[in-house]
Amino acid sequence: MAKTSHAKVEVLIVGSGIAGSTMAVELGEAGFNVLVLEAGPERQLSDMVSSQIWSRRLRWAGPEVLESGDLVGAANFAMGWGTGGAGLHWYANWYRLHPDDFHVRSLYGRSLDWPIGYDDLRPWYDHAQAYFGVSGDTDPNAPPGASYPMPAMPVSKQSSAIKKGFAAEGLTLTPNTLAINSEPYNGRAGCLLDGWCDAGCPIGALANPLVLQWPRARKSGVDLRHNAYVTRLETDASGSKVTGAVYLDETGQENFQPADIVISACHTIWNARLLLLSSNDQHPNGLGNCSGTLGQYFTSHALTTIHGLFSEETEPHTGVSGANTLCLDGYDDKQPTTGAFGSRAWLVGQAAKPNDLLGTALAKPDLFGEALNKYLRRASAHYGNMTVLCEEDSIPENRITLDPSKRDRFGLPQAHVTNSLPKENAARSDLAKAEGLRIFKAAGTSDAWAGPQNPMHMMGGTIMGRDPSASVTNSFGQLHKVDNVFIAGASLFPTPGAINPTATLAALVFRTADYIRSNRSALVP
Amino acid sequence: MMGRRRFFTGIIPTTVWTSIAIRSLSCNAEAKTVEQTSFLILSTTEAETLSAWCNVIVTGAGNAGVAQFVDQSLSRAQLASLLLLRYLDASDMTGFYRNGIAGIEKESAHRFAQPFVQLTKSQQTEMIADAVASKMQVWSDPDPNFFYFISRSDAVDVVYGTEAGFVDLGIPYLAHITPPQPW
Repeated sequence: MAKTSHAKVEVLIVGSGIAGSTMAVELGEAGFNVLVLEAGPERQLSDMVSSQIWSRRLRWAGPEVLESGDLVGAANFAMGWGTGGAGLHWYANWYRLHPDDFHVRSLYGRSLDWPIGYDDLRPWYDHAQAYFGVSGDTDPNAPPGASYPMPAMPVSKQSSAIKKGFAAEGLTLTPNTLAINSEPYNGRAGCLLDGWCDAGCPIGALANPLVLQWPRARKSGVDLRHNAYVTRLETDASGSKVTGAVYLDETGQENFQPADIVISACHTIWNARLLLLSSNDQHPNGLGNCSGTLGQYFTSHALTTIHGLFSEETEPHTGVSGANTLCLDGYDDKQPTTGAFGSRAWLVGQAAKPNDLLGTALAKPDLFGEALNKYLRRASAHYGNMTVLCEEDSIPENRITLDPSKRDRFGLPQAHVTNSLPKENAARSDLAKAEGLRIFKAAGTSDAWAGPQNPMHMMGGTIMGRDPSASVTNSFGQLHKVDNVFIAGASLFPTPGAINPTATLAALVFRTADYIRSNRSALVP
Repeated sequence: MMGRRRFFTGIIPTTVWTSIAIRSLSCNAEAKTVEQTSFLILSTTEAETLSAWCNVIVTGAGNAGVAQFVDQSLSRAQLASLLLLRYLDASDMTGFYRNGIAGIEKESAHRFAQPFVQLTKSQQTEMIADAVASKMQVWSDPDPNFFYFISRSDAVDVVYGTEAGFVDLGIPYLAHITPPQPW
């Protein structure tokens, strides 16, 4: 069947989530003719139903990802599908990578270095926190930067109960930094602390693309096309320029969308997969893969949650899904003991409803029958939790590949993610788990236990670097040797640190948008 | 903050009461006939086995409609599925439940020479405890422990994850947007 062809646009963005929509606003407001292709359906604020059950409709519904290794299993939970992508159900934890996180290879002889340092991103972090609206207090353990535009959220009963445990360990608990309004901000409401962030925030207190980016994008003339599943990027005969993207529409019809600039912003796994799917005679191993590193250096965070029951009432159903308080004490000590490596961060006091993956019931998965009933009645008023994120080294063995033996619903090779936690990072995670249990016991829990180690966040696979022979893009996310293709998202991260990635993702988007604006005449013929 | 929100204890929306009433009807034979013809994917026998299994895991899950909940979601595209399974393995959700239910029956027949629904409560409990402990004797695929994890989540969803379930646990629901129906 012949492809349906469309009128050329200046900028084509693949993906309408936080990275794609922020980029769309930046370039749309700069006068570029911008089109965004979103694989999923149109979303409305009314889709954000306050129910853990109903919230599952917001999650990934695209082709399956094959996963193997000992730190996998979070893909479908973490990704979004439809307008705003994962931005509709993210938790809005907002942290800057620390200066050392950018130079792990140079400082420790392992993992990788970024091609830029903290000072390069600092102004973009400052810009991003004003744009998104971030609440928080000054934290002596956080990197330097502008003051947050809003005061911190009030300390919750959960955090109050847990805080004395941190004090007993000589650690400081500080208010969390969140892209959630602690008070009305830029026309958006303040948070009601109702604990439904995971199901989406229809009041817009949590910065999600439906309230933050898309109104601005539409106002600036950005076009958004839903149910458009991009299958490959096409190049000209020389292979040095991309001419546009091929996508399937909701009828299964193949379309070709020409563009001067293509920006892939469709989440970590799919950014790498799209480039791999775009192989041709000039790029036999995938677009942007002259180094052979495309797909490699996938990273995650090793997450362990500590659970406990407290004698005091903790109101666990209230607050925010992300965390109420934070401990970055010791973050910069990446070698806490021999044989263990990596930073760690504690996110404390996450709102928990009874059901779903992070609910109180699944905190004790072995209980059933009357024991479960009895536990849930106590947990509903006395449960507390905290989660530690631990750093994973960037190694080439952890990677995103295509599995030609397995086809997705569109007949394309399935994405395969392989991720196993290096031994020294696993030892770091074990140390953190023991630390967490000590903290909860010191806080006076009647019962404290640790959940299993799980992955959280997905980064790498299209890493940036100075050396074209060892990376996929330059520091602006521009493909080496195909200079009208940019990548936006956490897939660019050479190292993950031990903190949630969105603030860094956003800072990079603003920096790349500025680069594109500044080089408009070279990029748009 | 709490003052800005309704405390839902005793103030349950009509839709919730309606759904509770419908589910309580399932106890009588007439309603059961309606249910038997209402399954879209699972057979009546499969639904009864799943319901009995979940009912031991979470008391009340059967009457709360766990089999209908699973069946209804399986009949929809992944996009509209409300099952937790979609987070963890959405490749063949119907096959997962079908095979899991078959595993329950296979194990039950091997151990007690009877269908699961006809076992005594203590026999049913023994089987579930062994699923938790990964000690099933003849059931291996899907992993009985994972099937327990998923079916337990379904049971928790319909009993405790709804507005009525929150009320039962004494938790204020505090909805921004009230669910149009429990599931």
